[in-house]
Amino acid sequence: MDARPGRLDADLMMGARPPVELLLRSAIRRLARKRPETFERLGRFRDAAFVLAPDELPIAFRVTPSGQQTQVAVVRSTDFRPCAARISGRLSDLLSLFDGSLDADAAFFSRRVRIEGETEAVVALHNTLEAAEFTLADLLGLPAPLRNWSNLVARRLLHGPRPRAADARG
Amino acid sequence: MLRAAILAGADSVYCGLRDETNARNFPGLNFSEAELIEAVDWARTRGAKVLVAINTFARAGVLEPWRRSVDAAVAARAHAIIAADLGVLAYARSAHPNVRLHLSVQAAAGSPEAAAFYVQTYGVKRVVLPRVLSLQEITAFNAANSVETEAFVFGGLCVMAEARCALSSYAAGRSPNLSGVCSPPEAVTFERTSEGLTPRLAGYALDRLGSDEPAGYPTLCKGRFQVAGEASYLFEDPTSLNAMGLLQALRTAGVTAVKIEGRQRGKAYVARVAGAFRAAIDALDRGEDLAKYQNLLSDLAEGGRETAGAYRKAWR
Repeated sequence: MDARPGRLDADLMMGARPPVELLLRSAIRRLARKRPETFERLGRFRDAAFVLAPDELPIAFRVTPSGQQTQVAVVRSTDFRPCAARISGRLSDLLSLFDGSLDADAAFFSRRVRIEGETEAVVALHNTLEAAEFTLADLLGLPAPLRNWSNLVARRLLHGPRPRAADARG
Repeated sequence: MLRAAILAGADSVYCGLRDETNARNFPGLNFSEAELIEAVDWARTRGAKVLVAINTFARAGVLEPWRRSVDAAVAARAHAIIAADLGVLAYARSAHPNVRLHLSVQAAAGSPEAAAFYVQTYGVKRVVLPRVLSLQEITAFNAANSVETEAFVFGGLCVMAEARCALSSYAAGRSPNLSGVCSPPEAVTFERTSEGLTPRLAGYALDRLGSDEPAGYPTLCKGRFQVAGEASYLFEDPTSLNAMGLLQALRTAGVTAVKIEGRQRGKAYVARVAGAFRAAIDALDRGEDLAKYQNLLSDLAEGGRETAGAYRKAWR
């Protein structure tokens, strides 16, 4: 069943996209400044466009992870311009893939997450994110004092209150 | 992932450098030489070991990348090198006499005599057992040998006689033993139609999956093909090895270490599997029953199905 909001919601979200794009672009570029070696793992896919499409939203995120030149664009979910890969699933699953708290293979095997486009690009992105050990606080660009708290809250929201394996970055 | 495994209780982690010298040469995976140094240093602070897999087969006249990987592993102070190729083993032994060598599963040393050759010739300290041996054969292997043995207990299985698979090469031009990659991702596509999901390798349709059917990474050996009007797995069912229930038996058979396949998996998976096996082995040490650990990891199995592999196989 399609649970996407309607056209009006899409228009509203597209209207609000500049601050979202700025926040995400700045956060990823900040990570690239701190840990450039992480982005090297992407190899030739550093300049590729990845589209992340949450099932519940009428918008998607088009990301080109070129380190400090990273670009992020909020696009309509109906925008199917060419890209290296399109990854679709519930928003909570996509966020969990970003911080590695959801196993990408298991998510794919069970069909929770769907991929279209170049498998090699998806493999490179998945392996890069796993090695990076980013957290959702990194994505939001939060300062150090708020990081642990926000990661804890985010995990509760994404996975419920069950205890999870140790965070590899402490 | 290395950190996730160690924090979850792994005593050792095996990994590879970012090139064709290890059997998991996938984009975005593996360590640069600088990252390997950092990883080994970190593991040492935690009392854990890093074993570097240099376990593909060097090509005639092109040994240099494998020599470089051996040198890099030694420079990083890795605890051991896991190798299969005779040339790689010979180079490691002559260039670095003190390096600890483990024999990769890719060498397919399935008999005490084969293991003895590697021990006497290259000073190999541990043999990773081929995944075709039964528990009785492992017991006999260990009874005839003093070399340490390591057995796979969790992860994917494949049909290749260790180290040699022609299926991937035939379809896609690259294979695990030569290029370090099975079903290279650049040759993999997923086609979604009204009939379902069709995974393809180099254009070959390997399966057709309904909307709710679990999918796996598409390899030819786990493809489902229609023969005489019936779709079936011709080479290998898409099942995962889970020998959690055989830990006591493996210990009794004389196995030193158990190995979990996790290099292409995420840290969530690695942490869960390593943590479960750590808890089970600790329970075994305390003399407890392992029944409650048996089904802890069933949801992680490829294709949703598990097997004890050859350990309980009654035929050859």
